[in-house]
Amino acid sequence: MDTENLTVPGNLDSLKAVREFVKRATGSAGIDKQRAYKLTLAVDEILANIVIHGYDEAGRSGDVEISYHVEEDRLRVDLYDCGIPYDPTQNDTPAHLDKQLEDRPIGGLGVYLARQGTDDFIYEFVNDRNHNTFIVNRAANGS
Amino acid sequence: MAFNLTSDIHNGVVRITLSGELDASVAGQFKTAVEQAAVAQPKSLALLVSDLSYMSSAGLRALVFAKQKMGASIRIFVVGAQETVQETIEMTGFSHSVVMLESYDAAQIEA
Repeated sequence: MDTENLTVPGNLDSLKAVREFVKRATGSAGIDKQRAYKLTLAVDEILANIVIHGYDEAGRSGDVEISYHVEEDRLRVDLYDCGIPYDPTQNDTPAHLDKQLEDRPIGGLGVYLARQGTDDFIYEFVNDRNHNTFIVNRAANGS
Repeated sequence: MAFNLTSDIHNGVVRITLSGELDASVAGQFKTAVEQAAVAQPKSLALLVSDLSYMSSAGLRALVFAKQKMGASIRIFVVGAQETVQETIEMTGFSHSVVMLESYDAAQIEA
């Protein structure tokens, strides 16, 4: 099983390094380009939320740990942080996607994109840490 | 590729060229450019994005900001979007509010 870990400071300058990390993961798992982009976007969106809302706005600081595991039929990416507890899977699909821009609230898009870019998106709070798991099936499912 | 942004005003259209990767760490630059563009009260805003290889929701939020700052009547054109960036714009419903063009069509944009 192919696996890799990375720890980065919980700030926005880490976004790029984490995108590169996810690219290595999808390359290792043989995920096609379009789905690889969507998974990269998913992780990037959640990491940005962690940094902005979980750390900065909460007056906290800390690292973010990321790892990937290439399993037989899927790629799993795990993200751990010590920001304020936040469960993005409880965030409803924005009801305003068909609204004109000027009528839309700003927010909720990142979590929506994270859910759209994964086959499974799981959250748990364990040992005082947020744990977000992103799963993409290795066999293209046509979605 | 690092994020880069240039802008000019031409025939009443503010043209902002975006290249590289637009994420939350650089979205502030885009927002500032939109704010500066709003001062000129342009009739249209054209985003030239053929060299933009990545855009997160931070870029989309700047588009919402542009509409709010420049008024609902401002026309926003997104020109030359790569397939992945285009898909994000469509998936989030932003394609209802902007005009997606494959190439810069002066007759349409500067009308």
